[in-house]
Amino acid sequence: MSTRDDGPTGTRLVVGVDIGNSTTEACLAEVAPDGSVSYLGTDLTRTTGVKGTPANTAGALTAIRGALARGGRGADRVATVLLNEATPVISGLAMETITETIITESTMIGHNPTTPGGEGLGVGTTVSITGLGTAEPGQPVVCVVPPGWDFDDAAAAINTAVAGGAEVVAAILAGDDAVLVTNRLTRPVPVVDEVAAVEKVPLGMLAAVEVAPPGRTIRTLSNSYGLATVFELDPAQTRQVSPVARALTGNRSAVVVRTPSGDVTDRRIPVGELVLRGAGKTLRVDVDAGAEAIMEAVARAQPLDDAHGEPGTHVGGMLAQVRDTMADVMDTPGQPAVPVSEIAIRDVLAVDTFVPAEVRGGLAGEVALENAVALAAMVRTSRSRMQLVADLVSEGLGAAAVIGGVEGEMAVNGALTTPGVDRPVAVLDLGGGSTDAALLTREGECTAVHVAGAGELVTKLIDSELALGDREVAEGVKRFPLAKVESFFHVRHEDGTVQFFDQPLPPHVYARVVVLSPEGPAPVPTRHGLDHVRRLRREAKRRVFVVNALRALRQVAPGGNIRALEFVVLLGGSALDFEIPDMIADALAPYGIVCGTGNVLGTEGPRNAVASGLVRAYAAEPVRSGPAAPVR
Amino acid sequence: MSRTDEPPAVLVYRHPGAPPAVVREVCAGVEEEGVPAEVVDAPDGLTATGLAHAAAQASRLEVGIGVDAAGAAAVHHGKLPLDHPPATLGADAPAPDRRRIGRTGARVVKNLPLG
Repeated sequence: MSTRDDGPTGTRLVVGVDIGNSTTEACLAEVAPDGSVSYLGTDLTRTTGVKGTPANTAGALTAIRGALARGGRGADRVATVLLNEATPVISGLAMETITETIITESTMIGHNPTTPGGEGLGVGTTVSITGLGTAEPGQPVVCVVPPGWDFDDAAAAINTAVAGGAEVVAAILAGDDAVLVTNRLTRPVPVVDEVAAVEKVPLGMLAAVEVAPPGRTIRTLSNSYGLATVFELDPAQTRQVSPVARALTGNRSAVVVRTPSGDVTDRRIPVGELVLRGAGKTLRVDVDAGAEAIMEAVARAQPLDDAHGEPGTHVGGMLAQVRDTMADVMDTPGQPAVPVSEIAIRDVLAVDTFVPAEVRGGLAGEVALENAVALAAMVRTSRSRMQLVADLVSEGLGAAAVIGGVEGEMAVNGALTTPGVDRPVAVLDLGGGSTDAALLTREGECTAVHVAGAGELVTKLIDSELALGDREVAEGVKRFPLAKVESFFHVRHEDGTVQFFDQPLPPHVYARVVVLSPEGPAPVPTRHGLDHVRRLRREAKRRVFVVNALRALRQVAPGGNIRALEFVVLLGGSALDFEIPDMIADALAPYGIVCGTGNVLGTEGPRNAVASGLVRAYAAEPVRSGPAAPVR
Repeated sequence: MSRTDEPPAVLVYRHPGAPPAVVREVCAGVEEEGVPAEVVDAPDGLTATGLAHAAAQASRLEVGIGVDAAGAAAVHHGKLPLDHPPATLGADAPAPDRRRIGRTGARVVKNLPLG
């Protein structure tokens, strides 16, 4: 190894480099012969490629050069670059719905047009507007208006029919005309509009149309017994239509058409069985039993040796995919491929969630909230290619590069530079793919664990629960506070404070729920109110980070007792979040321990802990090199 | 002006030569949202945006819509500068877009997203 001395003083210039899942951090320092350290600069950049692969070299070099520039030193004076031994951890995410609402025949319209017309409940036989003339007098009919009908013409046709004795009790429109038509009727009736597939409404069938007054939701069609009363259903049929009632709950308007062969099913999709092996046991748990049952089984199989999914099921496919990805990451050209069997899934986090899914058979793009389970799985292997990255960094920089220490230990080491922290100290590294905990006891013993699920799972939950379908928007919802644009000149923040602007806000954010990103307000494409989005965001963070913080700390705490910890330091990108540290601190408050966001070196906040820990470890033992002993 | 005597409404300023079909669709868009609209014959010489701006200044709801001789339309709000109309529409736009201009005007009043 190189020990390029820097002049007569004998100080050595070293760079600690932490290659993480999403960011690569560097810490530049001078180490004096007596082991004292003076820090010169830090830098942070995006990790290039998958952590632990040769592609990391580019990002590592960028961070090193950045730190050198800030510290005002040249690359030629670097004695040693210290890299972290990354525990090869990758996490896979999958989400599977476990319920599905299917309407095999067109039996309901449950969408929420912004402006239905009239109000009340109308029950009658469906008749096309062109067939109104032949309707039997005294027989209640529901008029169905296809696309292309002008509101004046539709209203006139209905008025003529009513004048001729027809009893029109409600109307279903294709276009967005309900208020316009209702305003022109001699006898107003409930009207539901914006029914895209109006041609699929079966004619000659008994239908019920309900429109609630402004500010109210429907009462009859969202009630199973209301449906039973309207359609004179027996108990067996009532059981069959109860999913319809549930799907219509909360709407301001709805249509239910009773078709003889109509069949709505609400069934569980077999998701598969998760087989957990650990602690000398093999446990089997049905994924559709939900997150609580899965996590209970995971806790009983702790420490987990491996997890498998039943082949040919959703969960089987998901875990197989994580394994395959990991095998690819581990492959080195010119060496035998890593057998998939060598890759073990060491942790699983299951989270109950819901996915808004379009109801199959709906007529207006109805959406039902289906239950789902999200799984994060974490894989570890015995092989790492960090030595190869070190060799490449050495080549690229022209200085020695060695593996300076194991991530968990180094993170604790760096966290100790936070003012007010002492041993025993536990760190919680809130990352993108995994949540890591490490404990350094008073005696200097270090244990570390990695649990599955972190920032990326939060983003995924937000994305699917709000039906955003856009990872970037979901990331924004996760990272920035919300506000409601209340006029062209002011917004109300989620805490209720109001902020005014000199320049008018753009029309596309008017009256919208927005995230306040540094680039300005960005709309969240949802019909939900600010409170709903906020609650959902916080709940996603709680289900992942608070659950994982407690899970990980229990695994490192002496005797599994969180109370036995003294200092807990939060580190990592998600420790910069505007609410996650508070949520974890709240959850840890009952245990009587000190918990807060780290401030590495007194200046770096929760960043740079591993990189500075590497420098500290080097200073304490400057002749060490090569890979350190693996963490348990 | 004694605007407080008049019922609150979105004012639609119509150029004398404005196509009646355009005005009808614009008004239908406002009505469908449940907001009152009132058509006013405006003097010659203003663009759709200028008409909308003038209408917004006169409206008790601070929202105005302008329709020019060619059938181009614009929505304006009384507090916005003249060159910042929330929405504009070309003269050759299809009927649903004209309806949407009325809807946008009504939604500014109702403080609902314009999209």
